[in-house]
Amino acid sequence: MRIPWPGVAAGLAVAALGTTGLVRGSMPQSSGTAAGPSSANPIVVTGAFVRPPLPPSKNAAVYFTVYNTTGKPDRLQAVTAAIGTDAVLHTSGMAADPNGVVIPAKGHLSLSVGHGHVMIEGVTARLRAGEQVNIELDFENAGPVDVTAPVVPLGSPTPSGAPS
Amino acid sequence: MKRLVLLLLTALLALTACTGSDGKRSKPQPSELQGNPGTGKYMGSGLIPPQPRPSFTLTDTSGQPFAFGSQTSGHPTFLYFGYTNCPDECPASLADIATATRLVSPAIAAQTYVVFVTTDLKHDTGSVIKTWLHNFHFGRGVTVVGLRGTQAQIDAAQAASHIPLAEDGGETHSTSSLLYGRDDYARVLFLRSNDEDKAMTHDLKIIGSAE
Repeated sequence: MRIPWPGVAAGLAVAALGTTGLVRGSMPQSSGTAAGPSSANPIVVTGAFVRPPLPPSKNAAVYFTVYNTTGKPDRLQAVTAAIGTDAVLHTSGMAADPNGVVIPAKGHLSLSVGHGHVMIEGVTARLRAGEQVNIELDFENAGPVDVTAPVVPLGSPTPSGAPS
Repeated sequence: MKRLVLLLLTALLALTACTGSDGKRSKPQPSELQGNPGTGKYMGSGLIPPQPRPSFTLTDTSGQPFAFGSQTSGHPTFLYFGYTNCPDECPASLADIATATRLVSPAIAAQTYVVFVTTDLKHDTGSVIKTWLHNFHFGRGVTVVGLRGTQAQIDAAQAASHIPLAEDGGETHSTSSLLYGRDDYARVLFLRSNDEDKAMTHDLKIIGSAE
């Protein structure tokens, strides 16, 4: 019954967004360690934020858009978060993606409420508004990419540039 | 037949996981189901024909039986099936329901029930559900009810509500919020969207005012 999430077949959207889609917002950004052929930053992450757990649940959700600026597909193969016991990429239903997700050349992956997230499990620390959470995205080609996401409690507006 | 197809389509769209899965951003639009008189005034997705308030009995967070059909009869009632470890869709929808109950008149809020039924029988005990529901700021006077039961009971409740049965230990579940009126029919449901709170507020005002 599940309708397949279109996943990363969204390369066209990047073309539609043009370069403005790649403008870095006020969110802290970082890039991969390996420089891609077409950009100093092969992977660019924008609009990241984290929804803290609602007690007694210990699950937090992180949202962001990640752009692959290179001319080659890259695979987001792992996510890690120090604040929890585990971090899992959910893009299709609640099922984890065991092999990660391929982001097409010049494509992007957008995780927004109802359309995927990184779930951080086992968050025991209390996350307060304005605090920052660090997660690491591990790419097959670009290597590790650090993302800093501000804590935005439920009901607070999402940061500008956040995926919707 | 056409009506049946539309209803089925709505049901299909509605079964997404807590993360959702229909990339089409099925945002409820006014008069989404065109040509169905009586739905045009709602911002949520119109239900044609209207669905009667279902009857099922589950257990509330204090361990007492709760007969949904009779105990909420005559009240504007939001009904949502989900689970408390859901990081994404469930909190968003419950927060939107809470917003709607805060923004309508006190008279409507005092009449309104919000009923959350867990699909995760393993983890969601009465106290877990009770604590979790306290995260949301519902309007004054709203009656908030958290329910659980056996798998057979939960399945029967979903079936009676014309909601697709949850799967994967309750983690893949409908993200529809049903809204029953004082006449004990649901004429509208809400699918997750960024404008869900506006649609719910808009429609609760109408449904809460109607005789």
